[in-house]
Amino acid sequence: MRSDPRLSLNLAGIKMANPLIAASGCYGYGFDYTGFVDPAEWGAIVVKGTTLKPRAGNPPPRIVETPAGMLNAIGLQNPGVEYFLEEIQPRLAGLGCPVLVNIAGETLEEYCQIASLLDGVPGVSGLEVNISCPNVRRGGISFGCDPDVVEDLVSRVREAYRGPLVVKLSLEAGNITAVARAAERAGADALSLINTLKGMVIDVGRRRPVLANITGGLSGPALRPIAVRAVWETAEAVSVPLIGMGGIRTASDALEFIMAGATAVAVGTANFVNPLSVREITAGLLRYLEQNGIAHYSALIGAARNER
Amino acid sequence: MLEQKPSLIHRCQLKTNEQVTGTWHCLKLHAPDLCGARPGQFVHVRVGASSDPLLRRPFSIHHVVAEKNEIWLLVRSVGAGTELLLQARPGAVLDLLGPLGNGFPVVDEAAPALLAGGGIGLAPLYYLAWLRRQAGLPFELLIGAASCSDLPADDYFAAQDLHPLYATEDGSHGYRGLITGLLEQRLREGTPPARIHACGPLPMLAGVVELGRRFAVPTHVSLESHLACGVGACLGCAFPFKKGGQIEYRRICKEGPVFNGEEVCFEI
Ligand SMILES: Cc1cc2nc3c(=O)[nH]c(=O)nc-3n(C[C@H](O)[C@H](O)[C@H](O)COP(=O)(O)OP(=O)(O)OC[C@H]3O[C@@H](n4cnc5c(N)ncnc54)[C@H](O)[C@@H]3O)c2cc1C
Ligand SMILES: Cc1cc2nc3c(=O)[nH]c(=O)nc-3n(C[C@H](O)[C@H](O)[C@H](O)COP(=O)(O)O)c2cc1C
Ligand code: FES
Repeated sequence: MRSDPRLSLNLAGIKMANPLIAASGCYGYGFDYTGFVDPAEWGAIVVKGTTLKPRAGNPPPRIVETPAGMLNAIGLQNPGVEYFLEEIQPRLAGLGCPVLVNIAGETLEEYCQIASLLDGVPGVSGLEVNISCPNVRRGGISFGCDPDVVEDLVSRVREAYRGPLVVKLSLEAGNITAVARAAERAGADALSLINTLKGMVIDVGRRRPVLANITGGLSGPALRPIAVRAVWETAEAVSVPLIGMGGIRTASDALEFIMAGATAVAVGTANFVNPLSVREITAGLLRYLEQNGIAHYSALIGAARNER
Repeated sequence: MLEQKPSLIHRCQLKTNEQVTGTWHCLKLHAPDLCGARPGQFVHVRVGASSDPLLRRPFSIHHVVAEKNEIWLLVRSVGAGTELLLQARPGAVLDLLGPLGNGFPVVDEAAPALLAGGGIGLAPLYYLAWLRRQAGLPFELLIGAASCSDLPADDYFAAQDLHPLYATEDGSHGYRGLITGLLEQRLREGTPPARIHACGPLPMLAGVVELGRRFAVPTHVSLESHLACGVGACLGCAFPFKKGGQIEYRRICKEGPVFNGEEVCFEI
């Protein structure tokens, strides 16, 4: 599909053909879905959470389905930043769209080390700093809840990395707007929200939790209304662009996030159900613009706020 | 730009949906693009249009009838997803991803391959057996279940000129006991096989690998787990493997579902 100028954007310095982003952890390194869609149909792809050292991940079972959603407890399985730089980074240019690397650390120093290793690396258009992973014992979400810790962490990563810096927020923080403001103050160029929410399922037959990790992160349509609310509240609190996500399947879902104040949207779980999601959502957005006589989708960013 | 591969997403019309036994149905689909699937590969099926159940469900390629552009799925109803799928009527159009995964190796060698299917695990072995028959490669098909009423009737196999050896726990058909017992008997008494292919519940596969080790026969086992993406992107289906004294997780949907039995870490 040709990219359409009515959907193009510049997100914190990243030129994107459309506002659709493949969500971290749901699209591998961009190559697993090439049998279905051209990766270049995405505005950008965010790769799996990358850590300093390789991580084996959690034991199985790692996933369980829930009403209109799923829980995952992957545990940030990834081959580590060195492997990423040697084996994966050289292939990224072939994807034909900007790629952001989602990074996670167990300590503040680890975040900084990964960030500086990725600084200036060709083929990496920006970083998404994951301070919201619910599935690891150390790091992840424990960094994302305290505004002071977030401000410290983001400003240190900011020093280590000069390119576009996105910070991925959790709603577990309770006060997402305070955390969002802290990340903005510390120099984040954009914020993405929300990460999965911690949940659990019990196997009543075996009288024990289904997931080996006991808990997992909820994603999919069940998450959507909560995520839209989070974007709505955060858009009021900060002026950096927002990447909204949580249960987006259709153009209408994506428009909800955009109208709540998101500049771009990410699609995760929906790819598992329909690998053609990106194509169908893009087409649906264009149809909406046509039907409503709108010249560029950006006119709809925060539109639900203006109408109040 | 990446090289454009043939699309792996298909809309296939359901030709027939017939009960085979108890909770098992055989679904025959018009699927010309899937007729090249290898035995042991699977398709990832959208069971309904709504968000609940949300995820696709994986099913092995049970048989391919290329001259009719047909693939068969053998589906056992175990929960909401399979129940919904089995409600589909002839004429319905199903949304399938595939063929996915690696499949069983079809090796040309003089010694026979033993194909051991436990319960619904016979699904992929049926096609593997048929292909070996077509190619004139020696094999023996072993099938196990709790009772013969849990299995398709003999003519379901005879129709493809397949004549399995049975193991039933209640002794209602063939050997009395577990399929691993039948396999052990066969390994003791018959011509030494070149390899064992197995699909079934985890404890059975662990038993098969143990027998393979004892009789020095390589094993290829097809593993199962819940899948989300089915294409390698989410790491949700990881299973532990032994590698150089360490544990390494591999994706059942991508590196598998068929694995070298020796490497599988069953002690989880
Ligand atoms: C590669 C692969 C090939 C498969 N091939 C076939 C096939 O040819 N025919 C067939 O009938 N099934 C096959 N399966 C299993 C099938 O995918 C599941 O039975 C199905 O997804 C269950 O969906 P459900 O919604 O009906 O049940 P759910 O509601 O998801 O589960 C119902 C119950 O069944 C158990 N269960 C579900 N899935 C599995 C599983 N994969 N292994 C063990 N227990 C499970 C659950 O723990 C639960 O107790 C295959 C699985 C894989 C991974
Ligand atoms: C299997 C799986 C793995 C994920 N891995 C990561 C990850 O490594 N880093 C991260 O920041 N978010 C991760 N996420 C969260 C998603 O990027 C996204 O924020 C969340 O799933 C909500 O969007 P969705 O409902 O469209 O999936 C993961 C989600 C899923 C389902
Ligand atoms: S199911 Fe997603 S990687 Fe296997």
